[in-house]
Parts: sequence; structure tokens; C-alpha cells
Amino acid sequence: MAGHMRAHELPAPRARGIKYCVPEMLLLVPLVLAGCLQAPPPPTPAGQRVIVEVWSWNIAAGSLMALVPEFEQQHPGIEIRIDMTGAQMQSRFLLSLIAGVGAPDISQLQLVDAPKFAPSGALMDLTDRAAPYADKFSPSFWENCLHEGRVYAIPWDMGPCAVFYKRDLFARHGIEPESIETWADYIAAGKRMVEASGGQTRMLALSVSGLFQFFEMLMQQTNGGIFDREGRIIIRSAENVAALEVLRAILEADIAVPINTAGPEYYASFQNDTIATYPLAVWLGGSIKDYAAPTAGNWGVFRLPAVAPGGLRTSNLGGSVLVIPDQCQNKEAAWKYVEHVLCTKEAQIAQYRNFDLFPCLMTAFDDPLFDEPDPFYGGQKVRRLFAEDIERIPTLTRTKDWNEAMRYITQALSAWETKKLDHEVFLSQMAVKLERQLGREIAPGHEPVEGG
Amino acid sequence: MCGKVLKQGLMYAVMLAVAALFVFPFYWLLISAFKTKAQIFVLPPQFFPDPVVVQNFADVFRATPIARAFVNSCVIAGGHTLLALFLCSMGGYAFAKFPGAPGRDKLFAFVLGTMMIPAAVTLIPVFIVLTRLHLVNTYWAMILPGAANAFGIFWMRQYIAANVHDDLLAAARIDGCSEFGIYWRVALPIARPALAALGILVLISSWNNLMWAFIVLREKSMYTMPLLIYLLHGELRTPYGMVMAGGLLVTLPLIAAFLVFQRSFIQGITVGALKA
Amino acid sequence: MAGAAQHRGAFWSEVWRYRHFYLFISPFFLLFAVFGLYPLGFSLYLSFMKWDGLTAPVSVGLENFVMLFSDEMFYTALWNTLVIGLMYVPPMFLLAFIFAGILNSKRLHLRGLFRVGVFMPCITPMVVVAIVFTLLYSAESGLFNYVLRAVTRLFPGGPMAPIPWLESEAWSKVSVALLLVWRWTGYNMVLMLAGLQGISDDYYEAAIIDGATRWQRMRHITLPLMRPTLVFCGLMSLIGTVYMFDEVFVMTQGGPGTSSTNFGLYLFNLAFMDFRFGLASSAAYTVSIAVFVVSLVILKWRRPATD
Repeated sequence: MAGHMRAHELPAPRARGIKYCVPEMLLLVPLVLAGCLQAPPPPTPAGQRVIVEVWSWNIAAGSLMALVPEFEQQHPGIEIRIDMTGAQMQSRFLLSLIAGVGAPDISQLQLVDAPKFAPSGALMDLTDRAAPYADKFSPSFWENCLHEGRVYAIPWDMGPCAVFYKRDLFARHGIEPESIETWADYIAAGKRMVEASGGQTRMLALSVSGLFQFFEMLMQQTNGGIFDREGRIIIRSAENVAALEVLRAILEADIAVPINTAGPEYYASFQNDTIATYPLAVWLGGSIKDYAAPTAGNWGVFRLPAVAPGGLRTSNLGGSVLVIPDQCQNKEAAWKYVEHVLCTKEAQIAQYRNFDLFPCLMTAFDDPLFDEPDPFYGGQKVRRLFAEDIERIPTLTRTKDWNEAMRYITQALSAWETKKLDHEVFLSQMAVKLERQLGREIAPGHEPVEGG
Repeated sequence: MCGKVLKQGLMYAVMLAVAALFVFPFYWLLISAFKTKAQIFVLPPQFFPDPVVVQNFADVFRATPIARAFVNSCVIAGGHTLLALFLCSMGGYAFAKFPGAPGRDKLFAFVLGTMMIPAAVTLIPVFIVLTRLHLVNTYWAMILPGAANAFGIFWMRQYIAANVHDDLLAAARIDGCSEFGIYWRVALPIARPALAALGILVLISSWNNLMWAFIVLREKSMYTMPLLIYLLHGELRTPYGMVMAGGLLVTLPLIAAFLVFQRSFIQGITVGALKA
Repeated sequence: MAGAAQHRGAFWSEVWRYRHFYLFISPFFLLFAVFGLYPLGFSLYLSFMKWDGLTAPVSVGLENFVMLFSDEMFYTALWNTLVIGLMYVPPMFLLAFIFAGILNSKRLHLRGLFRVGVFMPCITPMVVVAIVFTLLYSAESGLFNYVLRAVTRLFPGGPMAPIPWLESEAWSKVSVALLLVWRWTGYNMVLMLAGLQGISDDYYEAAIIDGATRWQRMRHITLPLMRPTLVFCGLMSLIGTVYMFDEVFVMTQGGPGTSSTNFGLYLFNLAFMDFRFGLASSAAYTVSIAVFVVSLVILKWRRPATD
């Protein structure tokens, strides 16, 4: 095609050769520049302020930012830069750890992700520095910050669970939230709610993709789990069967509406009558205030129903930690900041008061803030309610494979629901699948049962 | 006669309408860059910004290292393009003008064969290789992989074989010109149209590259324009005004380059297709 | 013996004589070794490993492949790829073919303008394009819904309900497909134009003399002679759809749910979101080989079916 383009029109090349030579050589300059411009930043000279870069997201980043002026005043040599790093933060963080360059000095991580990073050797070992605080954090959280007894992350906020409800709906249909003590009570109340409202109002939102989260919440109440402390698979257990029984009972009672958590319909439901209650973690409160500010005063909270009378009436979903990558150049300064924002009662209380981040630091629980009535919840003292029994929540060992296991279980729960699989059979199948996919062994006593 | 004119008129109307439809998103980008966030989302939509706002540009320069990203993009796209042109033209010249070299045809077939390897397969290892060479987060990580590409060599070989006459090269040899000199001073100037076509092709793909930038550029000071805009867009409450202003800035140089070189460019992709 | 040695000597002296040839092509082979050949082998090795990039890789034999074929997400991604491909390739081909025909008619003016206009989408940074389309697709305040509602208002039944372009699993693939039509029609148009221009006018003139209708000319001259071009366009579309990344990465992140996750994004997520480098490598190898085989089959149809 192009083969015969204008070749004959070109002048004799030798005449123009030299002329071309110089400018085309000049074109190589950017290449040389490319080599020079990438010089690493010079090390901070003595006397200059040390800069600590922090990656964080959403509300949490705002909370950190609010603490900066006070910290910088106390530590004049340190400058904190909070980076709300935008999309794909975890992905970019891991790429930076692998590449050995580009990680921030401090990063926020989801609690469930912390065990994935801890064994990598790419995070700073905080064991000695964190020793004074080891017994001050919620034990179920602290366990997941450790790897082989060493500390790699400091707990930040946690997600104790309870049930958010709409006061007007409960009043209208004559249901007493205080009368709900077990999940059986909850289901009975739900049936009344659906019936009395003529089907207009459903008790809760529960879609197939949200089943795992509910399962995770319940398995902490029944003391179940997926892995034991040695990382072996314990998914087939009587405790998990008990959790699934509750889940199935809720589904079969036909009191739920299949709306995805965190979808547009979900947020819209805060302001209409489609859903009466939201059994979820404390951080949902932040979202409700964000999306449905005009509904202030109409909300109430009752404690999470127990699986059996007298059982544990709380659980935990979500929460996050802070870590310091080993490539951080200013570890001392970075630690000082982490210590300031996470290990002091004052900072934790400020974060809870202003940004709804529930402290993992249990020494903060005796603060008067916890006994203040909250007007958003009609003057209820919800903070104390959330803090109750936190130390009794059993540790859910996550391991570095938690997210992967979660994906398999989420996929399989969909079949469990549609095909009404037997709980033992389902859990046995999951045990086999996890054993194969994760290369972990099944703990004694948790072997798959016949027919599984 | 009258019917024919009408038919022609209709044809032009359809053509203009289609072209307008295809250009419309660019127009939307242009006007959105001059709107506030509220104006961007207002109903009914404003087809012309009222008032015209230039604050977005000031904001994006103040709040993000976009000037630095522009320099990075220029160095990366420019460096990658020049290196590719240099290596491909040299390789293409060699394959075209050294017919007697032992193994030439087998080597050329091998070069063509490398085109079959999809980038998807080598994505992870190339990142690991760059990590081990300590090139991650440098311009080289963007410039080196893919600089010597088989298509470029093929394309330059075809052109040089057809347009650079052997007697010119022989004459230069007799004059005592070095082999590199012959390539550089005799063959390259003749191959300028081919270089332009290949160059604009490589330049555009390099300038637009998002995925690889996302993987290997690890610090803000190294971000390219597309990566910067992607991350800005991913922030929780997207600053749409700034995103659109930045988007306009990353698009304009490219459209300018395309309008200048569009003939070469279109020729480039056409030839690429015909060889297959 | 002596003859062989002599032969070998002659070979090396030939090589030496052409040393500049090898020198000139060496950069390619050097770079290919580092950024092509070695990664290819490394990737194959990783296919049999479990590796997160940080801790030591563990050999798992064929487990990755077993895992891949039991991963529902893998099939979802392939299915989405197929559906998106089927949604956008036929309309794109049709439009590109019509536009190429328009550009090929020599009597019309303004062809250059038309060509530039239709072609421009495929040179712009995808990240910008995707963001602009995100605005246009917005269910509440997007231009597309605004226009659709304004138009349907004129008909009985009143304005239609706003389409949740990017918010619903049912529409997300359509939205991606529309974007792809917009972006790649120009590219295919230019290729098809080149194909049309490669057909000699003599064929048509002869056909007209024989009294062939317009449709007969299309059916028996244009389409058969265009076959190599169409096959090439098809091949490019296949590869483009399977490995497509930027479009979904920026505009839908593969969602809502997994409704617009194609193979390219699935692979990226495996590698750089989950950091399962072993599984990602085995997925890349598996699908690349499948695409390669399909390409060979498609290429069989490349030769023009003239006689």
C-alpha cells in the first residue's frame, strides 16, 4: 500500500544527510532526561521537618485530618500529610510493597486484610512499641493484628453490631423493640410487622449477596468460625450449623426484602417505609446520618438478638487498622502518629464523637461520651449499648486467606439458599472446597460428614 | 436533476449528523470543563456553560501535580516513541537491506511470531522483572517494555525495502560511510513518511496507556496524566470539574497531534491490517 | 571432518561479514529476551505456583487450572465477554461498512471531515472517554436519559422511566457495548475503506455491463473480495473484547455486581486486586491459547473467495 509513496520525489539523501543528523540527535535528549529526572528525593537534612504520608479513605481520612493540627503542635518536627488516595487503594498499596517503592509511611487497611499483609515481611514489626497497649484493645481484634506472636498492625475502629430500627414503624404497629431478645423473637416481630403493614414494610434487607455478612455476624454469636488459631479449617461445626439455622429461619419467615446492602435502593429505604430494621454494625449510623439527615430522632437501636436465650447479644463486622510499611523512611515519626491517634483515649474519643468511628481501644469505654444521650436516636444512649459485652466477642481467626474463603462461601451460599441444602452437607462441601483451594488441612473433629 | 440534488443534500445532512454524533462527547468534555460541579449535573442540561467557569483549571493545577504529570507524560510518550522509532527502523533496515545474512529469514519469521504473544500473559512477570531491575517507578518502566515491537520492525522493513534503493547504499559505502552512517544518513531520511506513521501510532498508544502506568508508577510525582485523572475520578466525592478540566488537558495535545498527522496515522493502521 | 570444519569456518566468516546486520537487530532480541521471552517462561512457571508476590511461591502442580475451571467468576467473565462482543460487534461492523462505502464514493465532498470525526474517538485516552460517558449515562441527570425522555414525551404513554444505564445489571453490558461502538467504528471504517479501495473498478464495470443489480454486485464482488479485511476486523474485535480493560475499569469497575466484568478485567483483578499471581498466570495462558486457536480458525477464512 504505502510501498510506493513518493519515493522518487525525495531529494538525494546524501545532500540532506548532515542536516538530518543534528536535529534527530537532539530528539534523543528526552531519553537522557528520562534517566536524570527519576533521581530519588534527597534524604531529609537534619533540622528540617519530617514528612509522614498517610493513606486512608472516606470518613476515616477526615477523622485523621482533624487530629493533625493537635499532633503537629505537640511534635513540631513532624508534618502529617493525609492522602485520600482515591481508587484501588489496596491494590496500589500491595504493588508498592512488592516493588519496594511508593508505599506511604502509614496506611489504613481493612481488618480482614491485615492478616494477608502481616506474614509478608513488608510491614514494620511493631511488637516492642505496641507492648504497653496489647491488653487495652478488644481481644478479638488484636489477635488478627498478630502473626506468629509479632504485632504488625494497630487496631483502629471496630464494628460492634446491633439492630437499627425506625421508631415510628414500631410504634405504629405496636411492636416493642425491648421485647426482642432472641432471633426467634425477632422473626416473630418481623412477621407481625409485615402483616400489620399489609406487606408494605419488611423487617430487613437481605439479598443473596449479603448472606455471607449475616453468616459472619451470626457465627461470632455461636462461637463458630472458618479457621482455628492454627489456620486449620473448622467450617463444619455444630456452631456454624446453629448460625445457618438462624439464617434459614429468617429467610423462610419471608420477612426480608432482597435488596443489596449499599445499593441505591438500600440508601433510599432509610427515608421510606420499606424496611423496618437494619441488623448491622455501628458504622451504619454514619451512613444513615449521611443519607437521611431529616430522619433524625426517628431512629432507635436495640441489642442484637441472641441465638438462644441468654446468649451473646453483640458481634462484629468490619473495622480497620493502621500499618507502617517496612520501606517507610521515618518509622519513628510514623509510629508517634499511630500511637497518638490510636493508642490515646482522647484521640479515640474525638474520632468517635465527630466521625462515628467506634474505638477498638477499650480503655476509652469509661469516657462520659458513652453515656451521653444521642438526639439522632431520640435521646437513646446508643454508644453504651454498642460498647456492651465487646470483650466477650470471640476471636474470628481470619488468616491471609479470609477474602478468598469468603468468595467461595458467598458463591456457595447462593446455592445453599436456592436449593435449600442441608446445613451439614453444605458445610461439609465447603470444608472440602476450602481444603483443596487454600491448601489447608481440616482440623480434627471438623471432617466432612458422610453425604457431604 | 432536482431529485439528485435533493438526494445529495440529504446525504450530506446524514454525514454531518453522524460526524456530529461522534464528535459530540468531545464537545461535552469541552463544555463540562468550563462548568461547576452543580452545572455539570443540572437539569435540563446546559449545552453551553452559563456562566463559563475557568476555576476548574486553576483548581486542578493547585490541588493536583498535573503540571508534573504533563511533563511525565511528555517524557514517557516522547521517549518511548523515539526509542521505538530508532530500534524499529534500525531493525527494519537490517532485515530489508542485508539479504545475504545467515539466518535472516528465520530471524524475521521469529520477530513476526512474537506478535502472537498477548500482553496479558507477560503482564505479571514484566512487573516482577522491572522490580528486580529496580526500574519500577522510573520512566524506564514505561519506556522500555514494548519499545522494540515486531510490528514496527515489520512496517519499517516493508517501507525501506520498497523505497530505499540498493545503489544509493552502495554509493554511500564506496564513499566510505560507516554502516551505521548509511542507515542513519541515507536510509532514515528516505523513510520519514513511514517513521511519521509509526511514530504517531506509538505516541498515541503510549500517551493513553493507563493499565501499565497504574502498575509501575508508584509515586504521585511519577504519575502520567491519564493515571492522575483516573485516580482523581476515583476519589470518594469525585471533583468532576477538576476531572473534566484535566481530561480536556490530556486530550487536547493528542487531538492536535492527530489532526496534524492524521494521514500518516490512518495509513499506519491500514497497512497494519493489510499485512495480516 | 575437514569439510565440516571448513564449512563451519565459512559460516562464521559470513556471520562476521554481516556483523552489522546482527548488531542492528540485536536491540530487539535483547529487549525481547528481557520483556518477552523470560516473562513468557516465568508466567508458565507461575501457572503451577501459588504466589502472592510477597511470600515465597509454593508449588501446587495443576491446582491452579483445577481452581480456574471451578471458579464461577471465570465463566461469568467469559460469558460477559461473549455477550458484550455479540452486542457491539455486529452494529459496529454494519456502521463501519456503510461509512466506508460513503467515504469510497468519490463524488462526495467533505469526506475528510467525516473521516476525522468518526475516527477521533479511537485516539482519545480511554480514561477521559469513560468519564465523559459516565456523565452522559447518569440515570438522574445524564444527557442520554434527558433526551430519551424528551423524545418519548411526544408519544402516547408519556416519557419513559429513566434507564439505569450503569446502575443495573441488566443495562451495564448495553452501556459498555454502546461505548465500544462509538469508540471503534472509526477504526473499522478506515480498515474497511482500505479494503474497498483495493477492489478494482473493473469488476464493477464488467458486472454492470452484465446487468448485475446493486445487491448482486455487493453479494458477488464486494463481500467476497472484502473477506480478508472483514476477517482482520473480526480478529481485532475478538482480541479487543477479550482483553479489553480501560473501558470497564474506569466506567463500571466490572459492575454492578459482576455484570460487566470481562476477561481482561477478571485477569487484572486476579493479579492486582487479589494478588493471586499463579492463578492469574494459568488463566492468562489458558485463555490466550484458546484465543490463539480461535484466531487460527478465523484466519482460515481470510483468503478472498474470488473464483
